Amino acid sequence: MALSDALKARWFWYSILCVLCWGGWALLSKLGSREIPPETMQFLFTVGALPVGIALLMARRFKLEKSKKGIFYAVLNGILSGIGGLTLFAAYHTNGNTALITVATSLYPTITVVLAVLILRERLSATQALGLVFAGAAIVLFSL
Amino acid sequence: MLHVAPWFWFAVVTLVSWGIVGLLQKLSTNYISAESSLIWLVVGFLLLEPLFYPGKAVLHYNGWNLTWALLSGILNALGAWALFAAMKSGGKASIISPLTALYPLVVVLVAPFILRESITLLQAAGVACALIAVALLSTEPQPEATGDSSNLTQDTAGTGI
Repeated sequence: MALSDALKARWFWYSILCVLCWGGWALLSKLGSREIPPETMQFLFTVGALPVGIALLMARRFKLEKSKKGIFYAVLNGILSGIGGLTLFAAYHTNGNTALITVATSLYPTITVVLAVLILRERLSATQALGLVFAGAAIVLFSL
Repeated sequence: MLHVAPWFWFAVVTLVSWGIVGLLQKLSTNYISAESSLIWLVVGFLLLEPLFYPGKAVLHYNGWNLTWALLSGILNALGAWALFAAMKSGGKASIISPLTALYPLVVVLVAPFILRESITLLQAAGVACALIAVALLSTEPQPEATGDSSNLTQDTAGTGI
C-alpha cells in the first residue's frame, strides 16, 4: 500500500491516535508513579478506564455475547493485564529510566509468539525468529 | 552474580503477564467480539480493585499525581478503542499491530524534555533492538495452504493493555 493511500485511510489515523494515547498513558503512568505506590496507581488506573468500558457497553446497548469461554478468557485477560500494570507501575516507582522501562515492557509480543508456538503449535516465520533475536539482544543490553 | 537495575525484574513480570495476555486476547476474540473482550477485560481489572483499595491514604497524594493516574487509565482504554476502530475501519492487523506497538517511541522522544531523563549509548542500542524486534514479531506470516486461519501471531503486538 502506498503511503499516500495510507494517509487517506481512517484506520491509519485511528492507529496514530492509539500510539499517541498509549504514549501518553506511559508518560502519565510515570509521572503519577513518582509519588503514588503501584497498588494505588493500579486502583486509580482502573477507575480511569471504567468510563471507557461503560461507554463501550452503552454503544453496544448493553448487549454482549454469552460465550462462557470468551468471557472467561477476557476476564482472565483483565486480571493478568492488571498484574502486569501493577509491576509496570512498580518499575516506574523505582525511579528507573522511563524510556528504558517502557521499551523493555513493550517487548511482550516476544512471550506471546513463543507461547503461540509452544501451546497453539503455530509456526514461527523467519522474520519473527529474527525479531526474537533482536528482542533477546535488547533484554541483554538493558540488563547491562 | 549479574547486577541488574531495580526496575528490571518488575519489567520482566510485566513482560510475561502481558505476553500471556496476547494469547488470551486471541482466545477470547475467537468466541466474542473485540469490544466485548475490552468490556470483560475491564471487569477483570475491577476484580482486582479490592486488593488495591487505598482507603483514605489516597487523599494525601498530590492532586496532580492523582490526575495523572486517572488520566493514564482513560488514555490506555481510549488507545485500545482506537486500535479496535482501526481494525474495524478496514486496516490489516499485520500493518496496524506493528504501527501501534511503536507507542514507546513517543516516550523515547518526549522523556528527555518532560522528565529530563537521558539514556546511554548502550541503552539506546537496546531501544533500537527492541523497536526492531516488535516490528518484526508483528509481521503476518504467509498463509499456508493447510494453515490455521486463526493464526495468533498477527494479533500479538500493540495490545498495550
